[in-house]
Amino acid sequence: MLRLAIRNLFQSRARLVITAGGVALSLLLILTLDAIFQGVERQVSAYIDQSGADVFVAQQGVRNMHMASSSLPAAALGQVEAVPGVGSVTPILYVTNVVSIGDSRNVAYVIGLPDGAQAGGPARTVAGRGLPRPGEAIIDRSIALKAGVGLGDEVKILGRAFTVAGLTTGMVNLVSSVAFISMEDFRQARAGSDAVSFLLVRARDGVPPADLAARIEDQVGGVTAQTTAEFAAGERRVIRDMSTDLLAIMNLVGMLIGLAVMALTTYTASLGRRAEYGVLKALGARNADLRLTVVFQAMLSVALGFTAGLALTFLLAALVPLTGANLLLLVKSDSLVKVGVISLVIAGASAVLPVVQIGRLDPAQVFRGGLGR
Amino acid sequence: MTTATLDVQHVSKVYGDGETQVRAVQDVSLTVGPGEIVLIMGPSGSGKTTLLSMLGALLRPTEGRISLNGEDLTAAGEGRLPGIRLRHFGFIFQDFNLLSALSALENVAIVAQLAGLRNGAARTKAAGVLEALGLGKRLNFLPEKLSGGEKQRVAIARALVNDPALILADEPTANLDSKIGHEIMQVLRRIAKEQGRSVVIVSHDQRIKDIADRVLWLEDGRFKELVTMAEDPVCRMAVERENGISAMWDGDTYYFCSRGCRAEFLENPAEFAHPKRP
Repeated sequence: MLRLAIRNLFQSRARLVITAGGVALSLLLILTLDAIFQGVERQVSAYIDQSGADVFVAQQGVRNMHMASSSLPAAALGQVEAVPGVGSVTPILYVTNVVSIGDSRNVAYVIGLPDGAQAGGPARTVAGRGLPRPGEAIIDRSIALKAGVGLGDEVKILGRAFTVAGLTTGMVNLVSSVAFISMEDFRQARAGSDAVSFLLVRARDGVPPADLAARIEDQVGGVTAQTTAEFAAGERRVIRDMSTDLLAIMNLVGMLIGLAVMALTTYTASLGRRAEYGVLKALGARNADLRLTVVFQAMLSVALGFTAGLALTFLLAALVPLTGANLLLLVKSDSLVKVGVISLVIAGASAVLPVVQIGRLDPAQVFRGGLGR
Repeated sequence: MTTATLDVQHVSKVYGDGETQVRAVQDVSLTVGPGEIVLIMGPSGSGKTTLLSMLGALLRPTEGRISLNGEDLTAAGEGRLPGIRLRHFGFIFQDFNLLSALSALENVAIVAQLAGLRNGAARTKAAGVLEALGLGKRLNFLPEKLSGGEKQRVAIARALVNDPALILADEPTANLDSKIGHEIMQVLRRIAKEQGRSVVIVSHDQRIKDIADRVLWLEDGRFKELVTMAEDPVCRMAVERENGISAMWDGDTYYFCSRGCRAEFLENPAEFAHPKRP
């Protein structure tokens, strides 16, 4: 009977393409959205991941950068430096702002770096200087390319003009990039306050970051200290929390589209075979045999759709970076498991109606021509 | 294969109730012995299809009893009926009813698989039956690539593959031209006479009388007339005893399709009288 299911499926190629294609597209929607958000999650913590710090110290209660504000008094720098196990401390200033290049406005994490910063600077500089001097800015290469500017050109950050002195890569995401200016310029733009946003701490050799973070929190009041991994995880959690509802809705939409396509094609496919199922029933096939055929056919259609959807997603993931978009599509195993489960639900649900109809099929109709021939 | 006797006792089928009640079959009794070909004829709406459906365990009678080799089919539970149909009955339909996505071989093998044979054994057995019916070179053809006669022979192979004792055929020649229809009739005759299977045919096709041992006329759900058939010893055609041309020889009565056959017989009776039919 499984052979019959396979033959039935492949006999009507157009229907197969519609079925598998419909499922593939709906799963592509789910997978791509997942992959985009996974990519955004990874990209959004790129600056933190590549900062070179072991511990991030923030204002008490602040556990991430995105959509957050942290302000530490200047005295906190010395207090943290005094904690045993601390190798170096780099203060940074941070605000979410825009990098304006001509008419182009690009959202960016603006980082103010002190002279000789040991952490928190650009991880990969592809042109120009690695750290900005006063009046200079280091911006992402993709932003510069898009706007048609290069080293020596002018950009506006925090309302002031800066000369592009360096280009970086690897810190851009779908909606924002990272721009570096000197701490002096940052302070001037922010009315000269001597407060800092974060302290980026490097541990001495052999000191576990988690122990050091705990020690800093014990010995310095009014701060929250986290390992870089914890801080990055907090950053990703914000994105995840923001996207969970959206993802759930889009997953539901994708599943409903897939279900509608599958249900319609499975129903019409079994309706088209109604006479043949009736003949088989008259010849002695049990309902279970016929139901197995229909369910297997639905499973096979969905499996083909799943494979095609997966292939399309990987193809898209490979092609998107070639377009120059600051988008990373990251297909993770838990997304595959989720889509696999959704596929099974689609296959099972789409077979329900045909299975019920087969159960009600009267084999005696085979002699009466009442099976739809 | 085991030969079988189908015994139908006082079977009726009623559809609906009250004023809309229809008695499709009324108090029909019939016995079909091993190797016997019974043709059921009658006008449209006479109850032929209902009767055939009941004989094939596809429909339960409202009253009466149908038994196969003494086993009461009307008392069998719903769950047993598919197995009974699969192993004891072979069905042949007017429209062939082959599965369009499967090859000739697979159409036959799938029924053997349903009866419990593994794929390889089922295909081997199906190939054997198809080859015996002259379809050895058409095994892998889809139904759409077969002629009407070939399709009906595939359907016959499908009906035979599980070695059923009883073949039920619904208008088996209706969609075939005269020559192919005749071939199919001869195939059915061989199945009955050489393999000892009982064959019940429902048809409007008068030509099938030629191969039938008995012709029953069903009208308004009842058998109206019983026509007994005999074989012309000269041309081997089936002829109605009641209306046939006859001759006596050596104490037996012989029936002929025409005066010519009778004259030929009488010139040398010993040559034609053996084997003789009762």
